[in-house]
Amino acid sequence: MPASKDNERRLHPKAQEAHDLMERGRLSRREFIRVAALVGVSAGAAYAMAGLPDAGYAQDSMLPFPDPEGDPVAGGVLRVGMQIQKMEDPATYSWVEMSNQTRHILEHLAFTTPDNVTRPMLAERWEASDDLTSWTFYLRQGVMWHNGDELVADHIRWNVERWTDPALGSSNVGLSSISALVEEVDSGEKNDDGSPKMVKVLRDGAVEVVDSHTIRFSLSKPVLSFPEDMYNYPTAIVHPSFQAPFSDNPIGTGAYTLTELTVGDRCTLKRFDQTEAGANFKYWGGDVYLDEIHYFNFDEDNQLTAFASGDVDTIYEFSIEQMELAKALEGNIIAARTAQTLCCRFQITQEPWTDKRVRQAFVKAVDNARVKELVYPDGGDVGENHHVAPIHPEYFALPPLERDVEGAKALLAEAGQENLDVTIDVGNTDGPWHQTVCEAIRDQVADAGINLNINVMPASKYWEIWDSTPFGATAWTHRPLGTMVLSLGYRTNVPWNETLYANPEWDAALDKAESLLDVEERRAAMEAVQGILQDDAVMVQPIFRPVYTIVASRVHGYPAHPTQYHQYNKVWVES
Amino acid sequence: MLKLIGRRLVQMVLIILVASLLLFVIFDTPQFKKRLAVQELGGFAVSALSEADYQEWLASRGLDVPFYQRYVDWMGNILTGDFGFSYEKNTEVGPLLASRLANTGILALCVFALMIPISLTLGVLSGMREGSPLDRSITFISVFTTSIPEIATAIILTVVLALGLGWLPAKSAMIQGFDVKQLILPVLTLVIYDFGYVARMTRASMAEVMTSQYIRTAVLKGIPYRRVVMKHALRNALIAPFTVIVLQLNWLLSGVVVVEVFFEYDGFGKLLLEAALFPDVEVVQACTLAAVVVAVTSQIISDVGYTFLNPRIRFS
Repeated sequence: MPASKDNERRLHPKAQEAHDLMERGRLSRREFIRVAALVGVSAGAAYAMAGLPDAGYAQDSMLPFPDPEGDPVAGGVLRVGMQIQKMEDPATYSWVEMSNQTRHILEHLAFTTPDNVTRPMLAERWEASDDLTSWTFYLRQGVMWHNGDELVADHIRWNVERWTDPALGSSNVGLSSISALVEEVDSGEKNDDGSPKMVKVLRDGAVEVVDSHTIRFSLSKPVLSFPEDMYNYPTAIVHPSFQAPFSDNPIGTGAYTLTELTVGDRCTLKRFDQTEAGANFKYWGGDVYLDEIHYFNFDEDNQLTAFASGDVDTIYEFSIEQMELAKALEGNIIAARTAQTLCCRFQITQEPWTDKRVRQAFVKAVDNARVKELVYPDGGDVGENHHVAPIHPEYFALPPLERDVEGAKALLAEAGQENLDVTIDVGNTDGPWHQTVCEAIRDQVADAGINLNINVMPASKYWEIWDSTPFGATAWTHRPLGTMVLSLGYRTNVPWNETLYANPEWDAALDKAESLLDVEERRAAMEAVQGILQDDAVMVQPIFRPVYTIVASRVHGYPAHPTQYHQYNKVWVES
Repeated sequence: MLKLIGRRLVQMVLIILVASLLLFVIFDTPQFKKRLAVQELGGFAVSALSEADYQEWLASRGLDVPFYQRYVDWMGNILTGDFGFSYEKNTEVGPLLASRLANTGILALCVFALMIPISLTLGVLSGMREGSPLDRSITFISVFTTSIPEIATAIILTVVLALGLGWLPAKSAMIQGFDVKQLILPVLTLVIYDFGYVARMTRASMAEVMTSQYIRTAVLKGIPYRRVVMKHALRNALIAPFTVIVLQLNWLLSGVVVVEVFFEYDGFGKLLLEAALFPDVEVVQACTLAAVVVAVTSQIISDVGYTFLNPRIRFS
């Protein structure tokens, strides 16, 4: 095994195991790099161990950012078309756009780069115990907050404790890592049915500040994805003096600060070089090139035409319907294969979805592959109603779903629901293709005697009812691991569990899968995870969609991230 | 005349009182309050809030007091020039409303400046020679353009003039400050949609006047045709179009939301739509107030102008 600074220090047995698996051909080189980086091997060393060049990254760099493209020119303004939203509390953000506005000011412990490798960001490195239940993060020395304070471990503790405060309601509690730091206790309040209302609070001793720059997390179960979770967008690290709204006092560690926020109009970020006290601010992350980043409000339908007009240099996204227009424009189209998806999900505690036979009948009546073909003829992947995408490393290929209209009719008859009449709420939160998917489903389920009504509503209204409607079409963004999204969305009692699915057997299967490193073994474990969820029929999920954006040719080093997270540290523009 | 204006002003105050009270009642429901909390805090945070925390949030927003009390406070604040706070845009409603009204005012001014001469000229030309090829052509064009929805016109103009020929910017967001070029497409869209309607009204009025006996008498007396039209026919023919044109103010204020949203022009209609969808209660209330004021004011202008233009009404 090649020597490196990391394995001289200590090579995690999981990294060794992963290396052996790679050598035996049971783990791809890419997957080895991802796993080795997760258990604390530097990305450069992991690439070297895999025998691959760390494309775009200096081998000796301790920074998570790629080398700049070409000969970078400092200065200039990058103009981005995106919806401009409020910047209240980063821990409760529920829109990627909000986090993009914030991501240049606030930073994370780790940074999952577009090559799906997680690199240390505010942390300099991390170590995991052999059994993956203890994670120690070593912070970078000399990371400065915009108010002149130095980032220390106690600030991280304060953030994690805050995320787990039930009164805050952060979705971070649903992450595998954070959920392993909390325990359920009786809140003293009652649910509508009279049962005790349980809340999740931080376990005693779960977070330990070892010294000023070292913090240790003790988990109640093994979790491999801890560093990946730390780049989930609501996990940005805020200063302990933080009070919502963030936009009123935007103290961060990033290279930019907020100079103007007009919701629905613009968000202007400017290079931060001096603290309020007049001290020089030295950014820990090396050179950044843009003087300013200007976000301008354009609805998604209008972003591409704004780009065509030259109003902006790049946009958040354009839809598949606009592809022909995009091809006709001068600019670089960036397409990313992702795990972004639409879940037409049932809330299984509400009628008629309490009856598993009804759910299964509905699912059987839909031909997912056909729906995908109709809506995204080029690109994308067919969903299989278990929310694990083929691009997820642990994806297990279950037998292809077969449409079975007669089977659906039989199940409906058995459940006494021959004339099922249901309504799905659709907010088109990611574009009109949501509605197209529902219309395709409506036409298909009609063959089984199901009358599906489509209730289209404004996106903002949908987000008010997404977790309470009996039947809704909810967009989920990309996560690097299938287990990560399953933990966030389907574990019993997690905040984002919109289906209200609660199955201890499935929770245990997911726990097991999350603790396995050997991809073959994990994939085998995922058979149960995916199979149980698919059989319980909590959703129709026909598509994992690609995402598209376009960038003007004067912009260099623009990262194509499948999550659509904006991280512009090495982006530069021609004057 | 003063009595008429006074009556209209009283009506305006009554309409404002009723409309704003209705809005307060509607927005006072627990569902709307919860919706506001979701927008403010996020759905997950709200679902995780304890009842005590939720009540605390309501109190922090002043939503824990009965709606009639808030209504009285709101009216008092309006009288002092305080229109409230926009939850969505995170800013004072007064300046926000003023800037959006100004933007829509600029748009309306440009539309009127172009639409009134075009529609009146075409309407008069058409009405002067009813049934002539010119009349038929103008009528066809007027009906055709008015029949096309604004959104379709906007798309066609954008595709041809902005994306195809590259002559004009496709959007009117004015992100680098005011740019008159960015006004051209929305103004053209509105003029194309609206001029036909006013032209048709003018034509009908002109045609009616031209067949009246006093015009026939004037022609038979040997007065030059040009003088007959300009001095005798035109003034009477413009009474009906005047009313229609003034009432277009209402439409330009809140009826052009499609055009404003399509071109990303930050006008009053777009603000009202965004506020209604949010729901940004205090913005909706302030916008309603502004819309009622403009509607009643335009009605007053229309009535007064009509009275001045029509001697029969003036002298009676």
